Amino acid sequence: MTVFRVLGMTCSHCVGFVSEELEAVAGVESVKVDLSTGLITLRTDRPIDPAEIRTAVEAAGYEVEP
Amino acid sequence: MLIFDGMSDLSAREFVADFYESFTREVVAGADAAAVVDRYYTPDIEQVADGVTLDRQRLIDHLRPVRKNVVSCTYDVHEAIRTGNRLAARFTIHAETRRGRTISTEVYMFGELAPDGRIRHTTQATRDVSAP
Repeated sequence: MTVFRVLGMTCSHCVGFVSEELEAVAGVESVKVDLSTGLITLRTDRPIDPAEIRTAVEAAGYEVEP
Repeated sequence: MLIFDGMSDLSAREFVADFYESFTREVVAGADAAAVVDRYYTPDIEQVADGVTLDRQRLIDHLRPVRKNVVSCTYDVHEAIRTGNRLAARFTIHAETRRGRTISTEVYMFGELAPDGRIRHTTQATRDVSAP
């Protein structure tokens, strides 16, 4: 399980945009987003390179908290 | 005596549909985000959605990812009431993303309008009603 915070999400569409990109990352089985905190929990079937996560989040137009 | 100074439900529904469809069309088309926001919202806009508050700048910032991800957007306005500067509506937004998915969100909105028809304040609760 991987947990990180994404900055800039403000509505349920933001949640959908970010989830869609993360679900497309190889190895990601599920994405859970808490809009109020920005925390995202990934369930994965293998370790995921943080750079891949960052790339996916940025592709959706948001940023991973440093 | 009952006094009612509101729009008909149909007119209120048309107002809400026209407002959001026109706003989104301009956003997706790539118009200057600040200029678009200023055409539809007053400078002191406060939009509270699911407990998250957006002021003018945060609303403008929000348009960048919307523009990046949304290909098209339609609004089904199920019901709406407008009385003077007060507006209430229940509607569903269907946003088609660049990956081909449709994100559907039902919105319960209460709002306040400026005299020129721009939105000054809204409080919204939303729920995801996307097809599985």
